[in-house]
Amino acid sequence: MNKKGLRFYMRIYKKILAQDLKSKLSYRADFVISSIGMIFTNISAFITLWILFQNFPTVMGWNYHEMLFLYGFSLIALTPVQCFFDNNWSLRYYVFSGDFIKYCFRPINIFFYYISEVFDIKGVGQFLFGIGTLIYSWQKLEMGMSVLIFIKLIFALVTASLFMVALMNVAAATCFWLMGTGYIMVTAFKFKDYAKYPITIFNTVFRFVFTFIIPIAFIAYYPSLVFLRPDEIPILTWISPLIGVLFFYISYKIWMKGAISYDGTGS
Amino acid sequence: MNLRKYITLTRAGMMESLHFRTSAFVTILGNMIYLVIIYYLWKAIYASTGTGIVNGMTFEATMIYLVLATALFYFMEMYLVWNMGRDIQSGGIVLKLIRPMSFKKYMFFSCSGSFVMSFFMTFVPTALIVYFVTNGAIYLGSNLLFFIISVIFGLLINFYVDFFVGTICLYTESVWGINIMKEVVVLLLSGASIPLAFFPESLRNVVMVLPFQAIYNTPLNLLIRHNLNNFDRITMIGIQLFWVVILSIITSLFWKKAVRQITVNGG
Repeated sequence: MNKKGLRFYMRIYKKILAQDLKSKLSYRADFVISSIGMIFTNISAFITLWILFQNFPTVMGWNYHEMLFLYGFSLIALTPVQCFFDNNWSLRYYVFSGDFIKYCFRPINIFFYYISEVFDIKGVGQFLFGIGTLIYSWQKLEMGMSVLIFIKLIFALVTASLFMVALMNVAAATCFWLMGTGYIMVTAFKFKDYAKYPITIFNTVFRFVFTFIIPIAFIAYYPSLVFLRPDEIPILTWISPLIGVLFFYISYKIWMKGAISYDGTGS
Repeated sequence: MNLRKYITLTRAGMMESLHFRTSAFVTILGNMIYLVIIYYLWKAIYASTGTGIVNGMTFEATMIYLVLATALFYFMEMYLVWNMGRDIQSGGIVLKLIRPMSFKKYMFFSCSGSFVMSFFMTFVPTALIVYFVTNGAIYLGSNLLFFIISVIFGLLINFYVDFFVGTICLYTESVWGINIMKEVVVLLLSGASIPLAFFPESLRNVVMVLPFQAIYNTPLNLLIRHNLNNFDRITMIGIQLFWVVILSIITSLFWKKAVRQITVNGG
C-alpha cells in the first residue's frame, strides 16, 4: 500500500487540493473574516511583546529585536501545521460519527489522504505576518544575508515546523482511543504560543521537558541560535533535523496505529 | 418572574459539567504548564531589571495577579460564541427561540451551571493555593464581599460581550474568525495577559474607558489591592454596573434587530 512513488502522491495531492480550494471559495466571507482573525492574533501577540519591552530593555540578555526574531521565526515554522495539517482538528468528528471508515478503503496511505483533504488558507496570513516580522527584526539586528545563510534559514524553518506537526498528530490521534478529545487538541495547540520564548529562562527540569517531552523549544529557540548566537550553537541545534524527523515519525506511527485499529461504528 | 425554570437550567448545566471530568483534568494540566511558563518568564523579566519593583508591582504581586486572572478567565469561559454559532449554522437555534423565555436569558442560565461548578472547582482552589503559598497576601475582610459582587458584574459584562459577538454571527455565519478576534481583543485589553499597570500611559487611558478591563481587572484589584478605601471600591463597582446596564441594552437592541436575519434551511 505504501509502495507508490512520491510523484504519484504529489499528483494526487494537487487534485485533492484543487477540490478543497474550490469548495472553500464558495465561502468567501468566511475566508476573509478568518484571515482577519488570524492577523488579529498575531498583532495581539506582537503588542504584548511590545508592551513588555516598554518596561524592560532586555530579558535574560535577549533584546526586543531578538525576541521579535524568535516570534517571527515561530510564526513561519507554525505555518505548515496550520495550512497542511488542519484536518487533524476534524478527526474526532469523523471518528465519532463513523465517517472515518471511508478513508480506510482507499488504495493510498490513510494518513496522507486524510491530511491532504483540507488546506487551510488562513494560515497564509500568519505566514506573511511572520515573514514581515522576521525581515524587520533581521534588518534591525543588522545581520548579513548570503545564499548560504538563506539556505540555512529555509532548512531551519522546515526542521522547526516538524515539531508542531508531530505534537498535533499525537493530540489528534488520541481520539482513536478516547472520547471528547477536543480539549487535548486545544491544550496542545496552545503550546505553540510559548515557542517564542528563549528556553534559557526556565530551570533545568523544564528545559528538559520543553526539549524532549513537549518539544516546543525546537520551534524557534534552537534553530534561531544559528542566526542569533552563531558563536555558541549547542549540539541540540545541529541534531534538531534528526530529532524533528524522529518526532514526526513517532507521531505518524501513533496516528496510523489508531487508524488501522479503527473498526468504524457499523453504520 | 418565575425563578424555578431558570434554576432548572442552572442545575442541568452543573450536571453537564460534572460529566466531563477528563476534559477538566486536561485543561487544568494545560493551565499548570501555562502558569509555569509565565512564572519563569516574569522571573526572568524581573531578574533583568535589577530592582524588585516595576510600575509599582513586585514580582509576587504580578504573579498573584496573573495566576488569579488565569483562574478567572477559565471560570468565566463559556464558549458562548461557539455555541451560538453552531446553533445558527445548524438551524438548531429555532428550537431555542420558541422557548418560553427570552433567548438571552436562556443562554445565560444554560451557562450558569458551569459557572457555579468552575467557580468552586477552579477559582476557589487556585485562590486558596495562592493564599497559603504567599502566606496571606490576599487578606480576608470586606474586600471579599466587594470581590464577589464585582465577579458577578464581571461575569455579566463578559456574557454580554460574548452575546454581542455571537449575534454578529447571525450576519456573517462565520464563527471561527469572529470568535478568535473577540478572544484576542478581550484577553489583551482586559489585562488578563499583562497587568494593566505595565501598559504605556496612553494605551492604558484608552483601555480604561473600554468595558473589557471591568471583566477581570476590577474584581482582581478589589481582591488584591490593600490601599483602596470604600469610596474607590464603590466607584469601581459603579463603573461595572454602568457597563452592565449599557451592554444589556445594546445587546437586546442588537439582538432584536439581528434576529430577523435568521435563515434556517429546512430543519
